[in-house]
Amino acid sequence: MLPFLLKRFGLALVSLLGVLVLVFAMVRLVPGDVVTNLIGLEGNVSPERREELRRLFGLDLPLHVQFGQWFGALLQGDLGTSLRTDRPVLTDLALRFPVTLELTLFALLIALAIALPLGVTAAVNRGKTLDYLASLFALVGIAAPSFWLAILFILLFSLKLGWFPPTGYVLFSEDPLGNLRSLFLPALALGMSLAAATTRIVRSSLLEVLSLDYARTARAKGLPERAVVYRHALRNALIPVVTVVGLQVGNLLGGTVIIEQIFGLPGIGRFALEGINLRDYPVVQGAVLLVAGAFVLVNVLVDVLYALIDPRVRFE
Amino acid sequence: MRRFAVALGLVALLGAGGAQKSGGVLRAGMQADPVGLDPHTTSATATRNQLENVYDTLVRFDSKGKIVPSLAQRWSVSPDGLTWTFTLRPDVRFHNGRALEAADVVYSISRIKDPAVKSPRAGDFAVVDSVTAPNRTTVVFKLKQPFAPLLAKLAFTLNVIVPKEAAATLGNKPVGTGPFVFVEYIPNTRMVLQRNPNYWERDSKGNRLPYLDGITYIYLPDATARTTALRAGSVDWIEYVPAADIQTIKNDPKLDVVGGLSANFRSLYFNLKEKPLDDVRVRQAIAYALNPQEVVDVALFGAGGIVAKGTTIPAGGFYSYDKSPYGKPNLDRARQLLREAGYPNGFTLDLKVTSTYDFLRAPAEVIQAQLAKVGIKVNIQAEEWSVYLPNFIGKKFVATIIGESGQGDPDDFLYNPFHTKGGGNYMNFSDPTLDKLLEEGRATADQEDRKAIYDRAQERILQLVPMVPLFHSAQYEGLATYVKGFEHFPNTSYLGLRTTWLDK
Repeated sequence: MLPFLLKRFGLALVSLLGVLVLVFAMVRLVPGDVVTNLIGLEGNVSPERREELRRLFGLDLPLHVQFGQWFGALLQGDLGTSLRTDRPVLTDLALRFPVTLELTLFALLIALAIALPLGVTAAVNRGKTLDYLASLFALVGIAAPSFWLAILFILLFSLKLGWFPPTGYVLFSEDPLGNLRSLFLPALALGMSLAAATTRIVRSSLLEVLSLDYARTARAKGLPERAVVYRHALRNALIPVVTVVGLQVGNLLGGTVIIEQIFGLPGIGRFALEGINLRDYPVVQGAVLLVAGAFVLVNVLVDVLYALIDPRVRFE
Repeated sequence: MRRFAVALGLVALLGAGGAQKSGGVLRAGMQADPVGLDPHTTSATATRNQLENVYDTLVRFDSKGKIVPSLAQRWSVSPDGLTWTFTLRPDVRFHNGRALEAADVVYSISRIKDPAVKSPRAGDFAVVDSVTAPNRTTVVFKLKQPFAPLLAKLAFTLNVIVPKEAAATLGNKPVGTGPFVFVEYIPNTRMVLQRNPNYWERDSKGNRLPYLDGITYIYLPDATARTTALRAGSVDWIEYVPAADIQTIKNDPKLDVVGGLSANFRSLYFNLKEKPLDDVRVRQAIAYALNPQEVVDVALFGAGGIVAKGTTIPAGGFYSYDKSPYGKPNLDRARQLLREAGYPNGFTLDLKVTSTYDFLRAPAEVIQAQLAKVGIKVNIQAEEWSVYLPNFIGKKFVATIIGESGQGDPDDFLYNPFHTKGGGNYMNFSDPTLDKLLEEGRATADQEDRKAIYDRAQERILQLVPMVPLFHSAQYEGLATYVKGFEHFPNTSYLGLRTTWLDK
């Protein structure tokens, strides 16, 4: 198990290094200028002063020197300072990451709570009305973009029914229940496509396992159908589900960008978007690095989890 | 006796219905977070709007755009226009308990001018030679040359008076003299302000201001999300209602929209170094061919802007000029001018716009259709704001649609964009006659004399057409009907929150 873990973590570090270089280069390839953006149109600022600002931000240095400085600081745990607000990027990331993480996990939870029972029901009732209804849900759920669902949910649950606040964020430390209420609609909108995709995988995977020999044996020795499905088949059917769900967590993290914007949540996605709009390089680099890091970490976890569930993987 | 009692009861009833009530916290939905909390080091409108009720300025604009007393209760100018003397109110305290002194005004203005502070508005006080405090309530400004816009600069709500001892921490904890005290700011989440019980200002009946117990700013960057939050009742008041949502809010009996004119201009800018725009006849032809009313009706839903009647100064103000020869399309005149200039079949015009802001991009398509009628083929190039802005400032455009925001002084609207040395002159425009008029306007304190000068300046601008003024962006605030006493200011200012109260 240990060599397997070491290999996985080694590969993860290499991917992260690649992300570092890519992000650094990409934000600088995008046209636009942070100094001009910061000053705007109405600032009463001379060209000399602009040059001085550029020098203060270190933007006049050659690219490899800038990268070296950033990477050196990063190794010491310093992600730099926002050019716009003068606040340390790490402080702002630490403030926002819990929001994004909570939103992602909440969405994952909702997706599983919908997909597992629905997928099993569909498989058990194969070819019947319930199966078709589940397939319809899966079709619509995958086709509908999350931002569109978000707007529909706001219209229905906030404006018409008044069950949930349409926007805004409540701090968990001040009102835990209010916090969950403020995150429910965004999490639902975000988790819907994952719920739909997972329903389909649970259904097809369970059907496949149920047609295998050992399921037939279980039935032959007289076990009730319930026991065959839940005790024997489901466990094995969940192996591909873990892989897909695990990989989808990364997509959920990416999906938070637009959802946070619509619902006014103070997460990483909105922070990154503000940074991108102004070309605030340290902010964009820090935010993308964090999300990429989370993505890579989840992938490693999925691999490990996979190895735990299915011993065959470990020995390959 | 009984009739008297009835009458008394009636009076009491009427009084209760009409008078303001104190108390309650206003939840305000804002478009953006402040960009830093130190008012002297930023030019962000978000910072200004959210902190202008924490601070006070020496003088201020009222909702009609007139300069009125604030921390200074009166002032005078020497006949040569070089010495301005301000007398401070004696009863003002900072939120930290210390009494305001003339030395604080000296310190604040010097702080803005100090190159080490890096204030984007150091230029506002470039003509100020010295600021001194001969005693605790008197401040004297000595100028290098007469400068009538000084009051407007002092009224700008980022040029506020701060206490020296708090200067080092203003970026984290604002301390001012204003009607609300800063409590906390959580990025992307909220800013909390609390009523200042010792605020100096009273309403016309002698009641203490402000009426509200506090203001909580909540950040909702998405325009539709702000409107939805207001409709669902999770906020009481929102800023920047998009033109497309105005009717929705007006149709809701529990909501209302206030607002309208805002102190700004949006124009079709020409680069006078580019052919054929270097020919004044071509520029006039374009001005004659355009129909700004149609631009507002089609591109701005009829509600997002108010048609420019004269130049850059919005209509209805004291210095507005409304004798423009343009405005109603005169295609024959436009074609004739194009023929005289040597373009009987028109030409191709590159029009660069930003795709980030609808109100600057959508007019381009209307203009394209209007100019096609006189044979000018408009080629629209849309760029994202971060790409567009450096190109615009570097004058890398042939024609573009953009504008600036002013405050209240005509100098903001005319000197900056049109003077040869104006910071907002991106047209490569230079006219010695106009420069002279604009300099005279700066040096003239008498309002009537100033108006005559600015009338001539605006007539000259319309003759030379370095830009075609299209419209003035309108700004709207949405609120629940129980929010009373809020007044819209035309210069993007929320000083109206000082007299706001909640009737619920």
